[in-house]
Formats: sequence, structure tokens, C-alpha cells
Amino acid sequence: MNIAAFLKRNVGWFALLLVAAVLPLPLQKQQYTMVLFMLIVLYAVLATAWNIIGGMAGQLDLAAGAYLGMGAFTTGTLLLRWEVTPWVGMFIGALMAVLLSLLIGYPLFGFKIKEVWYALSSLALCEVLRVIFLMWDEVGGPTEVYLPTVNSPLYSMRFTTATPFYYILLVLLVVALVINFRIRATKLGYQLLALGEDEDAAEVLGIDARAAKLKALVIYAFLCGLVGGVYACFYGYLHPSFFDADISTEVAIFGIVGGMGIIYGPLLATILLVGVRELLRARLGGGLEGLYLVVYAVVLIVVALYQPRGIAPLVSSVLQKLRNALAPGKKEASWR
Amino acid sequence: MENHQPLLKAVDLTVDFGSLRAVNHMNLEVQRGELVGLIGPNGAGKTTAFNALTGLIMPNEGKVFFKGHDVTHMLPHKRCQMGMSRTFQVIRPFVHLTVEDAVRVGAYNRHGERTVKSKVDQVLEMCELGEMRNRVCADLGLATLRRIELARALATEPELLLLDEAGAGLNETELAGFMKLLHRLNEEEHITLLVVEHVMKMVMGVCRRIIVLDSGEVIAEGTPEQISANPRVIEAYLGKRAVL
Repeated sequence: MNIAAFLKRNVGWFALLLVAAVLPLPLQKQQYTMVLFMLIVLYAVLATAWNIIGGMAGQLDLAAGAYLGMGAFTTGTLLLRWEVTPWVGMFIGALMAVLLSLLIGYPLFGFKIKEVWYALSSLALCEVLRVIFLMWDEVGGPTEVYLPTVNSPLYSMRFTTATPFYYILLVLLVVALVINFRIRATKLGYQLLALGEDEDAAEVLGIDARAAKLKALVIYAFLCGLVGGVYACFYGYLHPSFFDADISTEVAIFGIVGGMGIIYGPLLATILLVGVRELLRARLGGGLEGLYLVVYAVVLIVVALYQPRGIAPLVSSVLQKLRNALAPGKKEASWR
Repeated sequence: MENHQPLLKAVDLTVDFGSLRAVNHMNLEVQRGELVGLIGPNGAGKTTAFNALTGLIMPNEGKVFFKGHDVTHMLPHKRCQMGMSRTFQVIRPFVHLTVEDAVRVGAYNRHGERTVKSKVDQVLEMCELGEMRNRVCADLGLATLRRIELARALATEPELLLLDEAGAGLNETELAGFMKLLHRLNEEEHITLLVVEHVMKMVMGVCRRIIVLDSGEVIAEGTPEQISANPRVIEAYLGKRAVL
């Protein structure tokens, strides 16, 4: 009975997953489309992971690029030097990202560095790592280091099309979503949401702010590190520009535009915003270069003005109305 | 051994904000089971004293003892785990959470996933919040939010509860209900209460012992009758000429 109820309750999610899973079948011949879909899923994993530290715990983290780069460099270097398969390497990379997050999070949270100061510190982390790896010739250096194909494409995760990467990232997305739901329904989730709203109030209710935030940061860094491994294999090379402040800010934007703390918000925002951006780039890129960014910015401003809680609440209220219209009298619990 | 000691004790507590001394060598004791009021004119240092007692700010001098342990430098969440919780003068609701979820945040202090639900139900019922359990805090009025703040603190199962002007902004009926609830918490749930209050009617009606603070110092202590007859208290509230 439980399984049936579970399936029924999450029917929307399963439908979405099914669509995502069969999407490549008719499209995999179109390289551009597949790369675009893969990138959307890649950003969606990062933004969904960001929801834990940013959306729930309310910490404006701008270090996704740092953890991503850490995962990428660890995975790539392991393959390059010791022929360790990225399938294992990405987990070691994720652990390295976790180590890095502990190194950063422990003092930051310990000294109660919050809000803009936390955002700036985390952004600085990206930049510091980029420079370190630029000068560290053994693993990085200013030139791209190309990843070899060891044994077989499967062993070294070096596929020639985007489709396999799409599926790998789709699995990671499901993992990130499940982790989100799990956290949201348990103690850690309630603690993070309370912290995100009012730290003092949460602390006098017995919540260890430092420990809870650190847990959130570690989970987020782990997921970003995993994505980093796949990222390196997709591009086929390593370069310090992987420690990318742009990725970091974009991930935070998707998380915020989606709706802080709403689990499906970042996913929704990623699909819409990356979709809109690429569509605009394709349509407008021929005429005026950079015009797509202007339109993209306008879209962001409109959301900020009219939907400051993010687009997810809007969508869920529409869904709610639809549901009420279809089955009146039935009351559904809030999405959050 | 623990039982012979006061539940809460402040020794020589001093808090400075720059050159301003907000709390000046304050000494205070609260025994188990008491219902104590802490009053004083505006700016007397009541809220600052509360913040120092609950660990939101660190005192410059002096010590705080809870159940006989020195907790002066202990973080707020650890004090809460020991059995101390509080509410805020300016309410600090979790605006995006539902009433039920806000209370649940507190209930996790002593409960795991299996028992947390029943604790939440119990607290919601006690504070008469059951009907609005699914409402989002942002949609609710001040009186209800104050009750939620109390419920949230109660859910942590405190032995000592510090209420900072929990009656402020409530109308007559709401206040009467609130006073009844405080009595009930003190007598039936055996929660020791330290109440900062502006509303004289509530302090005089509820508290059995009152401590008066002025300019950061304790100027009087006693039963409501003693306090309302104390010339120093009248002076602090109304000025010197009123005493003559």
C-alpha cells in the first residue's frame, strides 16, 4: 500500500523523469540540442544542491565553481596520472570538495560570518583556487591538460556524444532531488529552514547553527564535486578556468529565481532560464552579439520585481488551482 | 545537589555597549518553580540582561549559572538543550513556515523523528493553535505570532522559560487568556518563568516575586505589594517629585 501511495503522490515527478529519460531517443542525432539538454541538467544538479545551503539554510553561497573545479581536477588528475577510472575518481573528487568545504565552512560558520560577508568569502574561494591552480604546474598550469582515453571510452568516461553524459547527470539530478526531499522531511531540514529565517531565534530553540550549516555545506560540496568529475570528462581537459565565478553566480541565481527553499524551484528555474538564454543566443546572436544577455537580464529583473519569492510559488499556486478545479473539496498540503 | 541551588543565578553581570553600561553588576536568583517578573522603565536594561542570560550576547563581566553550572560562555543552543529557552520582545517568527512546522523546529530539541509529531500536537493543543496549524506564519496577526513564539519555545521542553514582553500589543481578552496560560505552565507543567513585562496589570497579576531594574541595576525586589509601595520604584518610573 505504501509503495502505491508513494507512486500516486509523486506521479508528477515520475512523469517528468520518464520524459527526461526518453528525451534523447528522438534527439540524439542533433548534437547541439543534446549538449544543451545536458548543460541544463548539469546546472540543475548544481542549483538543486545549492538549494540545501542557499535555499534552506539561507547562506548565499557563491562557491559552486570552487567545489566543481575541485571535483574536476581530482577526477582528471587521478585518470591522467594513475589511470583511475572517473567512475571512482568522481567520488574521490567529491570527497576532496567536502574536505575543502570543511576547511572553509568551519572557520566561517565558527566566527558567525553571514550574509554578504559569507557571499563574498565564498566567491573569493573560487578566485583563490583558480590562481593557485594556474600556478601549480604539477596538476594545473596555464595551458589545458588533455585527458587521455585509458583502456576504453567507458573506463575513462570519454564518450564522443553528449547523450551518455546527459544520463549520468540525470542520475545525479535524481540523487540531488531525493537528498533534498529527505532533508526537508527530517530534523536537518527544519533546522536549516529555521536558521535561514532567523538565526538567533533558531539558536534559542536548541539548534546548533554551526553544525547544521556545516552539514548543509558538506552535502552541497559533495554533489558539486561529483558533477565536477563528469564536467572534466565531458570537456576532455583540465584548466584553472574551471574554478569559475560565473558558474557560481549562475547557480545561485537559479536557486533564488526558482524560490528559496522550494525543492523543485531551482530545477524549474534552470530549465526556464538556461532554455531562454540559449534560445535567445541562437535567435539574436547572429544580429547583435550580447543582445541575448540584455534580454536575459530583463527577464531576471521582472522576476525580482513581480515574483520576489521565486517562480516556484507561482507555479504551485497555478497547480493548486488546477487541482482544485479538477477535484474540488480535496485539500493538498503546501509544497514547502 | 542540583536541587539546592537556584535554577538561574546571575552574579555581578555587566554588559557594556561602547561607553554605555546597559547592565551594571546585576545579581539575581530564580528558584525552581518560581514565577518571577523583571520590570523597569524603558532603557533599564531588561532585554540586554535577557540576552546575556540566554547567551545571545556575552557579558563583559560577571557570571551566569544555570542549574549550578557556569554557562556564561555557553552558546544559546547548548543552554536550550540544558533546559532554557526564551521568546523575543520584537517577535521573530519563521514567516515562511507553517505554524506546525515552526513548533516542530523547537520540538526537535528533545525528540527524534518518531516522537516529534506527538509533541507538536500536544503543544499546539496546549497553546490553542491546533486550528491554524497549516497556516503560514506570514499571514498571521501579532497576538497569534506571540502565541506561536511561546509554543515554539515550549516545544523545546524547557525547565526555565524567559519571556520578553510576551504580553505587549495584546488586547484585554488576549491578555487574560495569556495570563491563564502562564499560570497553567507554571503550576501544571512546572516550568519556571522569568517574565519581562511592561504591562503592569499582567506583572502584578501573575508574578509572585518582582525584580525591578533601573539603569542596569537592581533597585528593588519583593512581592507585588511591596514593589508597588516601594518609593525607589515609584521614583524610577515617575520621577522624584512623585514620591513626595
